[in-house]
Amino acid sequence: MSMKKELKVVGKSVERTDARPKVTGKARYAADLVAPGMLYGKLLRSPFAHAKIVSIDTSKAKALPGVLGVITGRDFPGVPFGTRPDTRDTLPMPITKVHHFGEGVAAVAAVDEDTAEEALDLIKVEYEELPVVLTAEDALKPDAPLVNEFMKSNICYTSDFLFGDVEKGFKEADYVREETFSSQRVTVGFVEPHACLAEVDNSGRILLQGSKQSPYITWRHMCRALDIPLSDMRIVNPFVGGAFSGKHDPMDVDFAAVKLAQVTGRPVKIVLNYDEVLAAYRQRNAMNATIRLGLKKDGRISALYAENILEGGPISGIGPFNIYYFGAFLNIPYKIPAIEYHGKLVYGNRAPCGTVRGQEIVLAQFCLDSILHMAGEDLGIDPVDIRRINAVTDNWTCANGIKCDVSGLPECIDKMAAKIGWKESRVNKSVGRGIGFSCASHPSGPRLGGHFGSAVVIKLMEEGKVIVTHGGTEIGQGANTVFCQMAAEELGIPYEDVMQGASDSDTTIFDSGMFGDRCTYWDGNATIAAARDLKKQLAEIIAPELKAMPEEIEFADYRVFVRDNPERGMDFQRAVRRAYYEKGAPLYGRGYWAATDIDLVDWKTGKGNLAHGLDFIATGIELEVDRQTGKVSLLRCVHGDDAGQPINPAMLEGQVNGGSAHMTGHCLWEESLYDEKGRALNYTWRDYKQPTAVDVPEYFVEHVHTYDPYGPFGAKGAGEASSCSTLAAIANGIYDAVGVRIKDLPITPEKILATLNERKRDEQGGSTGFASGGADEAQ
Amino acid sequence: MFIRRLPKFEYHTPSTVREAIAIAGKHNGDAKFIAGGTDLLLAMKKREIMPAHLVSLNGIGELRYLTVLANGKPSEEAGGLKIGALTTLAQLLASDAVKKDYAPLWDAVDVMASAQIRSLATIGGNLCSAVPSADTAPPLLAMDASIEIVNHSGKRTIPLNEFFNGPRQTTLGHKEILTHILIPKMDSSSGGCYLKLMRRNAMDLALVAVAVCLKLDETKKVCKEARIALGAVAPTPIRVPEAEAMLAGKKIDEMQITEAAKIAGMQCHPISDIRATLEYRCSMVEVLTKRAIERTLQRIQA
Repeated sequence: MSMKKELKVVGKSVERTDARPKVTGKARYAADLVAPGMLYGKLLRSPFAHAKIVSIDTSKAKALPGVLGVITGRDFPGVPFGTRPDTRDTLPMPITKVHHFGEGVAAVAAVDEDTAEEALDLIKVEYEELPVVLTAEDALKPDAPLVNEFMKSNICYTSDFLFGDVEKGFKEADYVREETFSSQRVTVGFVEPHACLAEVDNSGRILLQGSKQSPYITWRHMCRALDIPLSDMRIVNPFVGGAFSGKHDPMDVDFAAVKLAQVTGRPVKIVLNYDEVLAAYRQRNAMNATIRLGLKKDGRISALYAENILEGGPISGIGPFNIYYFGAFLNIPYKIPAIEYHGKLVYGNRAPCGTVRGQEIVLAQFCLDSILHMAGEDLGIDPVDIRRINAVTDNWTCANGIKCDVSGLPECIDKMAAKIGWKESRVNKSVGRGIGFSCASHPSGPRLGGHFGSAVVIKLMEEGKVIVTHGGTEIGQGANTVFCQMAAEELGIPYEDVMQGASDSDTTIFDSGMFGDRCTYWDGNATIAAARDLKKQLAEIIAPELKAMPEEIEFADYRVFVRDNPERGMDFQRAVRRAYYEKGAPLYGRGYWAATDIDLVDWKTGKGNLAHGLDFIATGIELEVDRQTGKVSLLRCVHGDDAGQPINPAMLEGQVNGGSAHMTGHCLWEESLYDEKGRALNYTWRDYKQPTAVDVPEYFVEHVHTYDPYGPFGAKGAGEASSCSTLAAIANGIYDAVGVRIKDLPITPEKILATLNERKRDEQGGSTGFASGGADEAQ
Repeated sequence: MFIRRLPKFEYHTPSTVREAIAIAGKHNGDAKFIAGGTDLLLAMKKREIMPAHLVSLNGIGELRYLTVLANGKPSEEAGGLKIGALTTLAQLLASDAVKKDYAPLWDAVDVMASAQIRSLATIGGNLCSAVPSADTAPPLLAMDASIEIVNHSGKRTIPLNEFFNGPRQTTLGHKEILTHILIPKMDSSSGGCYLKLMRRNAMDLALVAVAVCLKLDETKKVCKEARIALGAVAPTPIRVPEAEAMLAGKKIDEMQITEAAKIAGMQCHPISDIRATLEYRCSMVEVLTKRAIERTLQRIQA
């Protein structure tokens, strides 16, 4: 088949498969589900961040009329689960001690929510408080209390890389700069709180319908911790109200619902309030990093050295991957010939971390693009030029082995800089206004383990429509829509004739989940494979009638025909009827895809080609700083974005802009605060400040079309790179506006004002203490 | 620790003020009046208060409207605006009279909460909740508003600045209802504004809020009267007479504005909390006061 085939459905902004049910409120999320005889579950939460559980007395709660079940950690087999065999450090619910404020210690199921809540008051837990570990510094003290009972140290995981000749790189550098950066704890920020409905059928088989991002991961972890075979549990995803990496693994909510359903023999639903989510569920790791960058006079980077400590709460979760990712993605989007990295992930008694959209590349890129701006300024190189000079190009192999096939980054930078008006902005720069830049790259789905793969089944229905079922998980990002588009394109049928099936472990769920920009790429390729498999089956049935070999049969424009003689054919529906009514053959296309041609990277040493399809972005943000209040207003943001061939341009823009808007909060407003005993302080939406629509800038996306050799229709992933490029773009923009460089996030008005006032004092004192000079000093 | 379901309570639906007071009287301290409920229900879900009885004021139609008072009536001689305590923030926001003639109040309502909350929350409720950051309080104080309070024996009218006692505390008794807010009319040489500093640009509490009202002479150069009120920087919303005195009776220039703002920044007494530090709040009072005076002058002189 020709590569240059004109695309009919792919590349068009078709209506989302889930647009109407969501907009009209008809979509059913986990909290909307009901089952006959359903009970309501609630969790009792720890008031302490770290305490021994001396005893739990549930007798009074059990005796309350209307209560049908009460459970604690002791009702589970005591088998820990974890992302890697060496990081199995998490129990369904705690047994010997609590590890963070708000951790669930017991759960009840009752006939209604009021009774369940009343029962919680009747459970008596005796605690013995333990000293808390809050920060990475606390965790690494020689006499620090141990946070996780399955581990012998507070160091959860380490990554140490050495690629290229770092010593030589620094020796040959004309300029070396070292800076430290830090980042706060932030929440994930999905709309729908954790919720699920668990049922057990008369054979004892569990059905869990929950708000899950990667049901496969949840399923496997739960079966391990429940000590049951995979076949004893079925997991089905209802509509999911966002996840952003906060819903990969099973939560105590899921375990409690299942156990209560087992104990009571009735369906049990648990729906959290959002204050519970903000206090006790997934956040982004706190970071403390030091970066040293060596450059030649012409701006080329010669070497990079980085140290990074992430504090990720009391469990490892996907943390080992986070600590690797930070270092791995310092290798890109710029050409860095030599790199040394030392990363540590440590345990602490704040809320458990997963990660947030963009993963720890967000943090790495904040450091790298901030220091690159500083270096460029000192070397007298324009901030656009220094990125252009170092930008990764086609067929580039990074020092750590990650291979970039196609890079639209140089073009992204050019288009972005032109659109935001960088050159023009340098003439008559207005006081307090600035523009900042950052680039980023994100892989289209990493290969992180042996059973990383994607599976799709396409069922052909007898009237000629098809149902696409995959395990890739629609969590709001639009996966269902792009798979339906791809199936329609490949089968040569209208988009309207493709329906979306439910994500169900009984049909097709072998899929490592929704993260790392992987679904469009991995499940997209699996969709194409499934469509081809279906075509092959149909072609074999039709070929004799068309007097052709099956290999000669083509599918396009709702027709099935002989390639070299298109007149010889029939319409698609007739072909389908031949299969169903004459052969009695129901057809199922089956497809799978896994990037088995690349490496299984050792996360501890970091060497290897992790992923195909590196997508690229260049971001420019124009902003204004109020020099008296310190308040930052984001005005305009332009992304030059290379996502290969866009599958659905409108949705792609939504992903790019959404990822960026999400991180404006991390940069400027959001922070999960704790007191000295590790108790959460601001776990309501009133006090935890996520951006609203009027806080984010006006967005523009400049698409840079490239063709990825491995991606479906040449597409790459999208949706996370813009998260990675937003923090530094804002930080650099603030510097451009008022000459204030803040390296510890969030960049609050107080921090900006403190620097401005300090400078004012220095100036009044007759000194020129502020040597590096903000742009507006030159006015 | 965490938000819970509403506790059990008995719900009463009187249709007159008198009836509402009688019900509250019967339950002697164990009853709470409820208007929009946007503060009260949350406090109950947090178990901060657990009244056994809720007396809804929402059936009392006469308290839900705002009236522009005509000049010339003996009791309402000066004219002005009479606002029923049950008037919602959304109604105030939609009122041309408020926007045009009582701009500081409109400024405040415009930056309060979300559309959904504004359609429930009432101005009377905002005052009676008496949180230090209540947005409607500073503009009403700066406009010299008074309030009408009714109890079983009759009604009384007091200046708003005699209403607040402390955080969430007012002079209102258990069996009393705030029924109306009265704002005197401003003439064409008067004006004001409300400025609120927030972390983000919407759906946020004030870190610092400043309301200013000025009355100028006919030349619109000399200040005859100045009122400055601050929110979120003291246990209650406060006036700052020392700053006002810097402006009153003077031809206002840059120096006086700067000086008045500086005084306001020194007269406030905020706390440090998770939202902002004491130092930041004080310096922001100074910044916002200066800006509010300048904007007020622009509005009057426009």
